[in-house]
Amino acid sequence: MTESALLRLLHLADSALPVGSTAHSFGLETLAEEAVVVPANLESFLRGYLEEAGVLEGNYVRRAWNGQSPQSLSEELSARKAARTARDASLKLGHRFAELVNGMVGFALIPNSLHYCIAFGCAGKAFEIPADTVVIAYLHQSIAGLVSAAQRLMPLGQTAAARLLWNLKPAMIQASHVEEVSCFNPYLELASMRHGSLETRLFIS
Amino acid sequence: MNLTFGRERFRIERQDPPWKVVRAFPLADSGKLVHLHNVSGGVLAGDRLALRVEVEPNAAAQITTTGATRLYRHRPGALDSEQCTTLLVSDGARLEYLPDPVIPYAGSRHRQRTEIRLGQEATLLWWETFAPGRLAAGECFAFDRLRVETAVYVGSRPVLREDYVLDPLRRPLAAPVRMLGYSHMATFCAVQEGRPQGFWRNLEEQLTQIAVRRTSPGEAVWGASALVSDGILVRGMTVSGRFIYESLVEFWKAARLAVTGTEPLPPRKIY
Repeated sequence: MTESALLRLLHLADSALPVGSTAHSFGLETLAEEAVVVPANLESFLRGYLEEAGVLEGNYVRRAWNGQSPQSLSEELSARKAARTARDASLKLGHRFAELVNGMVGFALIPNSLHYCIAFGCAGKAFEIPADTVVIAYLHQSIAGLVSAAQRLMPLGQTAAARLLWNLKPAMIQASHVEEVSCFNPYLELASMRHGSLETRLFIS
Repeated sequence: MNLTFGRERFRIERQDPPWKVVRAFPLADSGKLVHLHNVSGGVLAGDRLALRVEVEPNAAAQITTTGATRLYRHRPGALDSEQCTTLLVSDGARLEYLPDPVIPYAGSRHRQRTEIRLGQEATLLWWETFAPGRLAAGECFAFDRLRVETAVYVGSRPVLREDYVLDPLRRPLAAPVRMLGYSHMATFCAVQEGRPQGFWRNLEEQLTQIAVRRTSPGEAVWGASALVSDGILVRGMTVSGRFIYESLVEFWKAARLAVTGTEPLPPRKIY
């Protein structure tokens, strides 16, 4: 990977990238509210997340990088995301990500109607970043976003959060290499579906 | 097994053991009800079952089973058992496919593939339920492997896709992203081509109210969500199979009234 590609990847995979990801918990807020996920089992929860949603999204990052039609991939992924709030969140982030990238490069590089993971894969390909690296970077920023959400939802200090993210790196690598599209996360889906029924909410999803 | 439902006639195009359909019962709204029997009592290791149902334009069908689909223990050297279901709902037709639960016995290995295709203004009301095993025999998630592949299309557009492999030994189902402490899972889907997304959002609100009322954390959790287009999905998880059907029937009634304007006619059977 060239130095230029590395710097671009660091930029795009930075959890501080202004695409609005800090406004979404993808169902974690419901699970935290019900004390299903607490600091003691957060790492285990995120491992499960990587084995299911992580594998699914990583697969779509890779397929987008491989040049499959991003619109078709996005249509297919929408059908795989049964929970509307999580689906809408993924599309909103993809829209913001594409607008940001297109604005930075000065032309319409990525369609702005894609799921986040697909837009990310398209950008990785365009900037000549190796596929494996793009998938892993995507998973890393996803988990970093959930850890950041967890810090706002439960008593989780900065050091514990950093350690957690550190410990999960082997699970990210493992998830990035699974080629089969398989995702079974019904309780997380239910948490997304039930998010709108929470009395008070910090997050959109 | 190949079944065709026309406006006037119901035809069994092909019927091989273990499946058997005896007859169709007329429904009060001019549709036809059929009970699927599995005369062998279950799906044996190595079985390859294929069910194809076509509902012709403007016809209506309701299909249920006479009992749970029992998936028997895998035999060394046998292939994983497989059931492949294809449901075709033609323009203006209606299909209600409401089978009993799938029960994967200890040591079973099974693949379930379901493909559903809807034409213009076609309607689908469909549910599926999974039990964790023979609880009375002390089995709970003791199966080896259950692979589920589901695809629902409206025209050429996918509106629901699910692919997963349950492998309880390798990936514990009690994980918070999967099933937490719940043992039974139910999915209900209502799809009708041509409705605007606002219609499904309104139905989502209505079904969510039912879901909230029927949710009792630790016993049962339900949720509803509009699909990407043309439909809605309800998901539920419970710690017992006892109350699943009562809930599913309530969701079914509300969704059917919304999409067809008429109350459902429950199949002639006892839940």
